[in-house]
Amino acid sequence: MIPILSFRDFKMRTLFLAAAIIGFSCLSTNAQFLHPKVNSKQTTVRTVVVMPAKVTVVRDSMKGPEGMAAESDELSTRVEKMISEVLSKQKNITSLAPPAPGTGSGDSQPNYSIADFQTKFDELLPKIMKKRSDVKKGRFSMGDEVLNLNLEKSTDAIVFIRGEGKKLTGGKTAFNYLVYGTPAYLTLRIGIVDARNGEVLLYTDPTFKGDPTTAIDRLRKALEKGLKKMPTVTAN
Amino acid sequence: MFASYSTRLIAAVLCSFVVFASVTPFAIAQKKTAPVEATPPPVREEFKFGDVDLEVLQQSDLLDTKLERDGLLLRDEAASAYLRRIGEGLIPKGLELERVSWKFRVLRDPQPNAFALPNGSIYVTTGLLSLVDNESQLAAVIAHELTHVMRRHTYVQNRSNRKKFLSMNIMTAIGAYAPGGIVGAVIIAATTIAPLIVMATVYGYSRDLEREADLKGIDIMITAEYAPEEMVNVMKLLDKDIEGENIRLFWNDHPALDERIKYMSSYLGARANKVTHQMELNRERAAYFSQMEPAMRHDIQLAINSGRFRSAVFHAQRLVDFHADSENLFWLAESYRTLGPRAPQLTERELTNSAKKDAAKQHEKRTLEEEERDLLETPAGKDNWQHHQQMAEELYLRALKAENPVPVAHRGLAMLYEKLGRANDAISEYEKYIELAPSATDRERIKRRIETLRRA
Repeated sequence: MIPILSFRDFKMRTLFLAAAIIGFSCLSTNAQFLHPKVNSKQTTVRTVVVMPAKVTVVRDSMKGPEGMAAESDELSTRVEKMISEVLSKQKNITSLAPPAPGTGSGDSQPNYSIADFQTKFDELLPKIMKKRSDVKKGRFSMGDEVLNLNLEKSTDAIVFIRGEGKKLTGGKTAFNYLVYGTPAYLTLRIGIVDARNGEVLLYTDPTFKGDPTTAIDRLRKALEKGLKKMPTVTAN
Repeated sequence: MFASYSTRLIAAVLCSFVVFASVTPFAIAQKKTAPVEATPPPVREEFKFGDVDLEVLQQSDLLDTKLERDGLLLRDEAASAYLRRIGEGLIPKGLELERVSWKFRVLRDPQPNAFALPNGSIYVTTGLLSLVDNESQLAAVIAHELTHVMRRHTYVQNRSNRKKFLSMNIMTAIGAYAPGGIVGAVIIAATTIAPLIVMATVYGYSRDLEREADLKGIDIMITAEYAPEEMVNVMKLLDKDIEGENIRLFWNDHPALDERIKYMSSYLGARANKVTHQMELNRERAAYFSQMEPAMRHDIQLAINSGRFRSAVFHAQRLVDFHADSENLFWLAESYRTLGPRAPQLTERELTNSAKKDAAKQHEKRTLEEEERDLLETPAGKDNWQHHQQMAEELYLRALKAENPVPVAHRGLAMLYEKLGRANDAISEYEKYIELAPSATDRERIKRRIETLRRA
C-alpha cells in the first residue's frame, strides 16, 4: 500500500524545506571572491572609478509588479555614493570621477564607449554568477579594451554595480504573511575589474531584506559586509 | 483550520469558481485567434485614461530619458531623419492622440527588434536596420508598432495582466490554506495548475494584440502607398535565425511565423490589388542601403562586441555586396577575424530547438575565449580558423589598397598577425595605425600592445 502523506505532514515538510532553502541562501548571500593576484598582493587597488550603477526596483502589489523608474535611478545613485564611501572609509581606496558622458550630438563616442563597456559587463555577469568561485582562479576578464575608456592613468580598478530589488505594497505585505511569500529585498552584484587588463579582481553579491528604497542603514551594512575581504590600502 | 465538512465544501466551491474563472478567458483567447478579416478602427476611441494608465505613461517617459542618458541611442542624424520621415508618413493624416508625442529612434542593439512605448516613442534597433532590405520592410515594422500605440495596446494589456495577477494571488492563498484529505489535494492541484493557465492567458491575449497590429499595419502600409506584401517578407527575414537563439518556449508573445504569414497573406489577398515589381524593390533597396550604411557599420561593431560573429559576417557581406569600399571591406575582414574557429552558418541540426537550448546553456557557462579554445581542439574548428584568418588577411589588404584606405585596417591586420604569432609584422602594422590615426581613442591600448610585443 502506498503511504499517503497527511496534509499536516505535507505542510510541515514544505515549511522545513522552505526554511532550509532560506537558511542556505542566507549563507551564500555575502560571499566574496577575490582574484589570486589580489590575495597575493601582486595587484593592489588604491584608486577606483565607480561606473554608473544599474539598480532596478519594482513595486510588487496584489495586481502584479509595477515599475519604479525614478526610485530605481535614485537608488542607483545612492549605491554608487555609498560604495565610494565604504571603500574610502573602510579600505582607504580613493574613488576618482567616472568618465564624463558627452553632451551634444558631436561627441557621442565617449557616451558609446561607456555604454558598450557596461553592456560588456552585463554579458560577462551571467557567466560569473554561474560559477562565482572561478573568480578565485582568475578565469574572468573583460580584455584590454578597458583601456579604450581612457581613464586617469592612476586608476587601478573599475567598479561595476548591478542590482534588483522588490518593494511590497501594504496589501502584498499582509498577503505574504499569509502565504509565506518572498519579502521585500535588494540584491546587488558588484564586480571590480582591473583598469589595465580587464581581469575581474573581485565579485560580491550583498543582499538584504527590507524596503530597498528606504533601508539605508541595511544597505550600508550589506555593502560593508560584501566588501569585507577587499584588502585595505596601507599608507606608504 | 477547515475542520468541518461545510467549510471544506465552501473551499471546494470557491476553488472551482476560481479555476472556472481562469479557464474561461483562456478559452476565449483561443477563440479570438480565429481568422480575422476586418480590422478594428485605427484608434481606440472609447479609451479613457485611468490612474493605472497614467502611471504606465510616466514610466514610459522615464524609460525614454534613461535610454538616451545611458548612451543606448544611435546619434546618426541621417538615419534618425530617415526613420522620422518614414514614421511620420505612416501616421494617419490629422490624427491627434491624447498623451502621445511621436518619436522615432534608433537603439544601439545588434539584436533585430523594434518596440513601441505608449507615449508614442518607437524604437528600432540597429540589428533590425541591418537586416531589412528596403524602405517598405522598415515601414512594415514601424506600421506594426504604430498600431500598438494607436490602439493603446500597452494600457489594455496592463489592465488585463493586473486582473490576472490578482486571480493568481487569490489562488495561491487558497492553495496555502487548503484542507487535508481528498478535497485538500484537489484544491492544491487546482491552485497549482490554475496560475499556469492564467499566465498562459496573459501571453495568449498578447498574441491577439500582435495579430491586430500585423493586420492593421498592412492597412497603414496600403494607405501610405508602401508595398504591403513586404510585411510578409519582413516576417520571413525576422525568422532568419543566424545565431541560433530563437528558442521556442512554452508560449511566445508573437504568434508562430507560419500562422502569421498565413493570416497576413490571406488578409493581403483581398486588399493588395497589385504586387510591386521586383525592379522597383531593387531600386528601393539601393536607396535604403545608401541611407543606412553608417548605421549598418555601427551595428557590425556592436555585433562583434556582443559575440554575434555570424551576424557580423552576414551584415558585412551584404554591405560589401552593395558597395565594396575600404570601410566595408575592413568590416568584413574584422568580422571574419573575430569569427575565428566558428562556422559562418549553423547547420540544420544546430538549428533544432534542442540543439539551440544546449548551445544557450553552453553560452551561459563558457566565456568567448573558452568557446574558441574548445573549438580549436576540433579538426573543423582548426579548419575554420585557418580559412577565416586567411579571408581576413586578404580583405584587410584589399581595404588598404582601395581608394581612401581606412587606417583601422592596419590595426585589424596587426591584431591578426599578433594572433598568428607574427610579432614583428604586428608591431609594424600597429605603428602604421598610430601614425595615421594619432587621435584614435584606442591609442593607449595599442601602445601597450606594442610594448608587450616588444618585451616578448
